[in-house]
Amino acid sequence: MNTLNLANLGFAWLPLLPLIAVAVGAAIILLVGVRLEDEDSAGLGILALGVLLVSFVCTLFTIGVNAEAFGGALLTDDYTAFFEIVIQAAAAISVALSLDYAADNGLAGAEYYSLVLFAVLGMMLMAAAGDLIIVFLGLETMSIAVYALAGFVRREARSSEAALKYFLLGAFSTGFLLYGIALIYGATGTVHLDGIRAAIVARAASQPYLELGVGLMVIGFGFKVAAAPFHAWTPDAYEGAPTPITAFMATGVKLAAFASFVRVFMIYLGPAAAQWSGVLWVLAALTMTVGNVVALVQDNIKRMLAYSAIAHAGYALVGMTAAGSAAAVLYYLVAYAFATLGAFAVVIVLERRATAGLRIADYRGLAQTRPGLAAAMTLFMLSLTGVPPLAGFVGKLYVFAAAVDSGHVPLVVIAVINSAISAYYYIGVIVAMYMQEGTPEIEPSGASPGVLIGVAIAALAVVLIGIAPTPYMNAARDAFAAAAGPPAQATAFAR
Amino acid sequence: MSSGVAVWFPIGVMIVGSAVVVGTMVSINRLLGPRGRDSAVKSEAFECGNPPSGGAWGRFSVRFYLTAILFLLFDVELVFLYPWAVALRDLGMFGFVEALVFIAVLAVGLIYAWRRGALDWT
Amino acid sequence: MIAVIVFWTLAVITVLSAMITAFSRNIVYSAFALLGSFAGVAGIYLLLGADFLFIIQIFIYIGGILVVTIFAVMLTQGVADMNISNRIVGLIPAALIALLAGAVMLEAILRTPWPHPGTAALNPTTHAIGNAFLGPFLLPFEIASVVLLAALIGAIVISRQAARAEA
Repeated sequence: MNTLNLANLGFAWLPLLPLIAVAVGAAIILLVGVRLEDEDSAGLGILALGVLLVSFVCTLFTIGVNAEAFGGALLTDDYTAFFEIVIQAAAAISVALSLDYAADNGLAGAEYYSLVLFAVLGMMLMAAAGDLIIVFLGLETMSIAVYALAGFVRREARSSEAALKYFLLGAFSTGFLLYGIALIYGATGTVHLDGIRAAIVARAASQPYLELGVGLMVIGFGFKVAAAPFHAWTPDAYEGAPTPITAFMATGVKLAAFASFVRVFMIYLGPAAAQWSGVLWVLAALTMTVGNVVALVQDNIKRMLAYSAIAHAGYALVGMTAAGSAAAVLYYLVAYAFATLGAFAVVIVLERRATAGLRIADYRGLAQTRPGLAAAMTLFMLSLTGVPPLAGFVGKLYVFAAAVDSGHVPLVVIAVINSAISAYYYIGVIVAMYMQEGTPEIEPSGASPGVLIGVAIAALAVVLIGIAPTPYMNAARDAFAAAAGPPAQATAFAR
Repeated sequence: MSSGVAVWFPIGVMIVGSAVVVGTMVSINRLLGPRGRDSAVKSEAFECGNPPSGGAWGRFSVRFYLTAILFLLFDVELVFLYPWAVALRDLGMFGFVEALVFIAVLAVGLIYAWRRGALDWT
Repeated sequence: MIAVIVFWTLAVITVLSAMITAFSRNIVYSAFALLGSFAGVAGIYLLLGADFLFIIQIFIYIGGILVVTIFAVMLTQGVADMNISNRIVGLIPAALIALLAGAVMLEAILRTPWPHPGTAALNPTTHAIGNAFLGPFLLPFEIASVVLLAALIGAIVISRQAARAEA
């Protein structure tokens, strides 16, 4: 029988607080919002922003705390805090983008914002997970919420199609992940990441099952980060989902999946790296190439950004093949997230009902009608291309340098060629905005303050993180060092 | 017979017993009942309510689906609450409170579904 | 000896039912044949002394998932005109994938040095699982309720739309 020491319970609250804040906030929004009309949902969005702020403040208190709770199921280190903050930021910007979008489109605020917050809860759990069960449950919480969000626009068949494809392939990939987890449990006798690493180091793991399990987990994570050849769902799901949710999927979901992927593979399966780094090498090369080449021929901006998101998963995977360079991956993901959020924010301004305003051709002449917006979009496109001094350039620099240090020169050559290819379609948007005549019927109307604030924050972040990368890179290094360091000695209850 | 199987002996008796009973009932019917008198009148429902209209495989209303999903979700609760109930005596107050949290989260879902009208038929 | 006979009986029931599910020309028969699959697996759990899994298999898979599957089949438009036969398409690629997956699993099974725990005595697991849920696995226990809540909201969001469309 377990004796539960209630005195220790107090200690476990701290790492849990950011999670509890989000969960309680989601429940309150659900119960309050269900009484409101769908058109009055903006207030619920403000409430959701408040919940994210409270959660963010709670996370600030956990910085520097290197602890674990629930017998190692939840790790509270700077790695967790790093990803929690980036996820909260991505979610907050997505909510800001939703404020008028949801109200204008008659989306039910109670479900919309509470599902966003439940997804955030799942993402934060994935970042903090210290055992594979939490990885799985976090992934499920996030995925189920996002499946529903992708299909939220009821009157549009495209949205339902997006949700259906995303759900079917997502459920399938979750099956792969779960099967992989089961096999790793069978091979090592534990679901705790610490124990799995110990078993691999001690060569106590049953090899065939470990290899099979690791391979299946790569497939499962590959689906979630949209790596080729597991990317087939991405363009349709991104295109059909409501645009603020597309922004959330392209950033929050990807950040959380990489948070788990990097922690599980680079740190805890690190001793078995020989068995997976070759696979990641191939995945990285394939993902970059497929993403960039197919993006060239897209004429819908959301589909173009979807293939761009695939390509950027490939660059991040390049970083993962380099042992010990997780800090570069973390930095890269932050740079990617802000540029992508900003780009989708601009898309929302130009978007009209149905498919109008979503063609890249609709961006013609934007520099005359909305010079500020065009300038911001230029920043985001240049950062995604990797032009100095923006954040995307510095991120690529760190990732490629780390990969060269680990001897993956051919992979970096592929990555650089891909960056050159990507310049074509990113700069195509800029050319349309500045050098081509506008089409009068797509005259952008006034954008809502929430969207403009989102654009401004993202533009500021892309510039700031690029010009002064040191504090962010140091934060990423500290985060990775905390996660890779010796297991925390402070242990909470219920071991 | 190994001891592991001996434990399941009563279940085996039950399975065999029920198979024998069901088999007997069905075959006795065949054996003793009159044969060769099939007619349209015989296959009609006899004092069993209205005559059937349409096939049994008609399309269900989609509203059943929501009901079925809600049922499934609360059914899955059982996976968690059943072992909790079995071990409740050991777990004491702490286990009781934790399960209350679990139930409270699902109660939020039930209140929401109720308010949203998911439990209404129309 | 008896255990071996019982195991093979259950295995045959499970695999035959699964084959009916996969190959039946009628999707309604496919759905109902799942019953045999699920029940056979439940029997194997029982045979292995996994009493909790047995109960869960009955409650969730037979009592829940099978019911919902049959609902889903019966909701399908045109189920009555019997044309939703389970057309066998892509048989060759499917067979190749199945063979490949089977070969990988077989190889892993053969290469693994299996421990032999001896005969499983009756050792109820439910109580231990209850202790584990409210002890070391408390966090998964609580998160599971959140997953269920998110799924509930998602189901209502999606099906409200469907019910409105029908009305």
